[in-house]
Amino acid sequence: MDWQIVWESVPLIWKGASTTVSLFAWALLIGTVGALALALMRLASFKPFVWFAVFFGWLFRGIPLLILLFYAFFALPEAGWVLSPFWAAVLAFSLWTAAYQAEVIRSGISAVEPGQWEASEALGMSRLHYMRRIIIPQGIRIMVPPYTSNAMTLLKQTSLATLVTVPEMTLLTQRIFSNNFKFIEPIFALAMIYLAMTTLLLIGQALAERAFRLRV
Amino acid sequence: MELDWSVVLRSWDLLWAGTRITLLLFGLSLVLATVLGLALALMRLSRFWLLRWFSIGYVWLFRGIPVLVTLFFAFFVLGRRFGLTPVQAGILGLGFDAAAYKAEIIRAGIMSVDPGQYEASEALAMTRRHYMFRIIIPQSIRVIVPTYMSNTILVLKATSVAVAIGIVELTGITRQLSNSTTQPIELFTAAALVYLALTTVLVVLQGVLERQFALKT
Repeated sequence: MDWQIVWESVPLIWKGASTTVSLFAWALLIGTVGALALALMRLASFKPFVWFAVFFGWLFRGIPLLILLFYAFFALPEAGWVLSPFWAAVLAFSLWTAAYQAEVIRSGISAVEPGQWEASEALGMSRLHYMRRIIIPQGIRIMVPPYTSNAMTLLKQTSLATLVTVPEMTLLTQRIFSNNFKFIEPIFALAMIYLAMTTLLLIGQALAERAFRLRV
Repeated sequence: MELDWSVVLRSWDLLWAGTRITLLLFGLSLVLATVLGLALALMRLSRFWLLRWFSIGYVWLFRGIPVLVTLFFAFFVLGRRFGLTPVQAGILGLGFDAAAYKAEIIRAGIMSVDPGQYEASEALAMTRRHYMFRIIIPQSIRVIVPTYMSNTILVLKATSVAVAIGIVELTGITRQLSNSTTQPIELFTAAALVYLALTTVLVVLQGVLERQFALKT
C-alpha cells in the first residue's frame, strides 16, 4: 500500500467533494420542491393533475438515472437547449429526486389519520389552511426515514455525473488512478469519503426523528 | 429540428445485443445478490455475535458506497488481481451492492413472522434449521415479495452503470451509436423505452407474484 499518492491529491479530492456536495444540495432542493407539487397534484380532485403526477412517476422511476443524465447531456443540446455539464446533471438528478420523493411525501400525507382531516373540516378550516397547518406537519414525522433513504441514494448517485464530465469527486479520483495506475488506495479513499457522507446523513435522520417525535 | 426514427430500426441489431448483455448482468447479479442477501439475513439473525457484526458491517458498508465505486473496486482491484473479464467484474460489483439491500428486505420479512410460529415449532421439537426453512421462511415470502420486487427494478436500472467499466450493454451501445450517428434524441428515447418496457414487465410480475403468495382464506 502506498498512501503517498492519496495525500498528495487531498486538494483535488477536496475540490471534487465540494462539487459533489453542491450537486447533491441543488438536486435535493429543486427535487423536493417538485416532489411536493407532484404529491399535492396526486392528491388533488382535478383528474388531469392526478394523471400527470402518475405519469411523471412511472416515467422517471422506470428509466435508469444514467439514461436521464445522457439525455440531458447529449440529447438536449441537439434540441437546442445547451446546459453546462453541471446544470445538465442537476436537471437529471432533480427530475429523479422529484419522482421518488413525491411517493414519500404522498404516502406520508395519506398516512395521517383520517380523523384529523374530518376534524379540520368540522372546524371550518380551508383545505389550504389545514393541509399546511394540520396534515403536512404530522406527515413529516412519517416521511423522515424514507426521505433520508432517498437522499442517501441521491448522494451516491451523484457519482454518475462523472460519466457526463462533471468534475465531481469520482471523476477527479479517477484522474488520480488513471495517471498513476495505483488503484486500491484512491478507490478505498473514495469509498471512505462517500461512506462518511452517507453516515452523516444517517445521523441527520436520527436527529430529525428525535426533533419530530411525538411528545406525550 | 427533424427527428429521423429510422436510425433506431437500422441500429436495432446492436441495441438488441446490448439489451442481451443488460439482461445477462441483471440475471446473474440478481442471483448473486439474492443468495448472498439470504446468507447475510440469516447471519444477522444468528446467535453468534461475529456473524451478526459481519452482516451489520457489510450492509452499512455497501449501502453507504455508490454502486459506481463498488464497480471500480470489482474491476480495477478484483478484476486485475484475479484476471476477470469486465462482465464478470460487473456481475460481482452489482451483486455485492444489491446483496446489502436484499439482506435487509429478507431480514425484515423473516422478522415479521408471528413469534407464535417459532414457539410452536420449538414446542414440536423441530430443529432450528428445520423450522427456519420449512416454517418461517415460507411464511415470510409473502411479506418479502413486494419490497424484493421493487428493489429488483432498481437492480435492473443499476446495470446501466456498468458502462463506466467498459461493458457495452444497452446504455453503452446507445452512447456509442449516438456518438457515431449524432442522433442522440432518437437513440436515447429508444433505450429509455426498452428500459421502461423491462421495468413494466417486472411491475406486472410483482402483481402476479403477490397474488400467487396471497393468504388463501
